[in-house]
Amino acid sequence: MQYLIQLLISGLAIGAIYGLIAMGFAVIYKSTGLVNFAQGEMTMITAYIAWTISTTVSGNVFVVAVGAILAAVLLGLVIERLVMRPMLGEPVFATVMVTIGLAVILRSAINFIWDAYPHGLDVGMGRGIVHLGGIGVRTGQIAVIATLLFLLAAIWAFFRYSKVGVAMRAVAADDRTALLMGISATRVHALAWAASSVIAGIGGVFFALSYDLSPAMFQLGLKAFPATILGGLDAVLGSGLGGLLIGITENLAGGYLGSGMKEVAGFAMIIVVLMVRPFGIFGERDIERV
Amino acid sequence: MPATIPHPTPSAAPLAATAPDALLEFRNIRIVYDNAIEAIRDVSIAVPEGSIVALLGSNGAGKSTLLKAMSGILYTEEGVVENGSIRFRNDEVHRLAPDELVRRGIVQVPEGRRVFAALTIDENLQMGGYTRTGAEARERRDKVFTLFPRLHERRDQIAGYMSGGEQQMLAIGRALMTDPVLLALDEPSLGLAPLIIDRIYEVIVRLRDELKMTVLLVEQNAQRALDIADYGYILETGRVVLDGTAKKLKANEDVQEFYLGVSSAGRKSLREVKHYKRRKRWLS
Repeated sequence: MQYLIQLLISGLAIGAIYGLIAMGFAVIYKSTGLVNFAQGEMTMITAYIAWTISTTVSGNVFVVAVGAILAAVLLGLVIERLVMRPMLGEPVFATVMVTIGLAVILRSAINFIWDAYPHGLDVGMGRGIVHLGGIGVRTGQIAVIATLLFLLAAIWAFFRYSKVGVAMRAVAADDRTALLMGISATRVHALAWAASSVIAGIGGVFFALSYDLSPAMFQLGLKAFPATILGGLDAVLGSGLGGLLIGITENLAGGYLGSGMKEVAGFAMIIVVLMVRPFGIFGERDIERV
Repeated sequence: MPATIPHPTPSAAPLAATAPDALLEFRNIRIVYDNAIEAIRDVSIAVPEGSIVALLGSNGAGKSTLLKAMSGILYTEEGVVENGSIRFRNDEVHRLAPDELVRRGIVQVPEGRRVFAALTIDENLQMGGYTRTGAEARERRDKVFTLFPRLHERRDQIAGYMSGGEQQMLAIGRALMTDPVLLALDEPSLGLAPLIIDRIYEVIVRLRDELKMTVLLVEQNAQRALDIADYGYILETGRVVLDGTAKKLKANEDVQEFYLGVSSAGRKSLREVKHYKRRKRWLS
C-alpha cells in the first residue's frame, strides 16, 4: 500500500511537470492553431537560464523565479516575432515544420551556450523531505503539484473571464473576423507564445530542481505532447490533467510491470484513448451546425 | 465607365463620388489580388453621412472585395489597393491596420455572419467591444440588447447553436459594439427566411433614422436593398456600371430586368438577356 502511494505521489509530481509543458502546447494551439514542436526545447532553455541566474547572480529562490519568468517571456516573444510572425498566413504544415527546425536549433544552442554536462539547479529549496503519514515526499514535488493546480485555476479563469482570454479563443476560432472586430491577431499570438513559454518554463525549472539539467531535457516535450493529445490539443486544462494521468500511468507501469514498461505505458494509453475519443478526453468537437 | 449602359440615364460621372461631404469615399480605386487578378477597376463610390448606400451586383462582382479593402483585411488574401484611395472623413485610410479602422468607427458585418461559434452570445458581444473600455462596452451592450431583446434572453448560450436569423442579429450586434460611425453589411439577407429578412432590414433602417448611423449595404437581393437605400451603385465584374438614387435605379429598365426580376415588356427570352450581357461587356 505504501509502495502504491509512493508511486502515485511521484507519478503526480512528474505528471505535473508534463502537465505544465502540455499546457504550453495547448495555449499555443488554442490561440494560433499550431503545434509547437519546439516546446520541449523552449522549456529546456528556460531551465538553463534559471540555472545560470542561480550560479551567477543569486541563488535566492525569488531572484531565480522572477529572472526565469522574465527570460521565458522574452524567449516566447522573440521566437514569435522572428520566426513565427513571418510565417503568418502560410500553410499550417509549413509553419509546423518551422517549429521542428527551431527545435533542432535550440537543442544545439544548449551545447554552444552552455555545455553537454549535467548540472544540478540548487536554490536551497525543494530537496528537503517531508513525512506525510509515514510517506516521505520531497518539498519540490509538493510545490510542483501545487503550482500546477494553481495555474490550472488561474488559466481557467483567464480564458473564461478576461477580455484578452476570450480574445485568444476568438482569434483561434476565426482570426479574420477577429481582425474585423479590431482584435490584433499578432498581439494575441505574441501573448500566447509568451504565456506558453512561461508555463512550460516553470515545468522545466521544477524538473531541474527535482532531477537535473542536461541537454537531453528536451525529451520532456516528447513526454508532454502525448499528455496534450490525451487531454485535447485545444483544452488547456485538459492538457494539465492529461499530464497527471500520463505521469501516474508511467509510474504505476514502471513500478509494477518493470521499468521497461515505463516508457511505453503513456503512449499505449494514448492509443487506446484516441480510439475512443479522437478529440482527447477534454477536447472540443467543432460545432457542426454553422 | 458608367455611361456605357445601353438604356437610359446613367449619370456620366457619378456626382456623389466627388461630393466633399461624403463620410466614406472610394476614389478611383483599383484592387489586385496576387499581383495578377484585377478584382476592382477604377471604382468610385461615395457614402454620404447619415444615409444608406446600397452596393448591388451578382456573385464575383467585387462587392466583398471593396468591403475587405475598407476594413483593411485585403492583405490576408494577398490583395492590394494599387491605385486610388479610400477616404474616411477626408483622411486616407486604406493603409491603416484593421484595429485602427475599427477605432475610427468603420466596421463591417462579414458575409455569412461569422459569429464566434464556440463563444457565448455575451462573449461575442464582448469581442465586438474589444477596442472600447469596459464601461463603454457595457453601455453599448445595453443598447444592443434593447435593439435585439432576443440576444439578451439567450446571452449565455453558445452562439454556434443559434438559428441563422439570430446569428445575423448577433453579428450586427457585435459590430454595433464597436460604436461605429459607418456600418457595412455584407449580404445580411443571405440564407434567411423572408420574415427574418424583414426584421433585419427594419433594424438597419432604425440604425439610420434613430441612431444617425451611416450604412453601406452590400446585397445581391437588389429589391430589398433598394427599398430602404437612399442611393445605389451597381457593380459588374469589378466596375460600377450604374449608379443613382434608389428611386431612379428602381425605375431603370435594366435594373428592373436583371436585378429586380420584373419585366416591363412581358417575358423576354434568354437570348435577349445574353445579348444584353454581351453588348454591355463589349461596350464597357
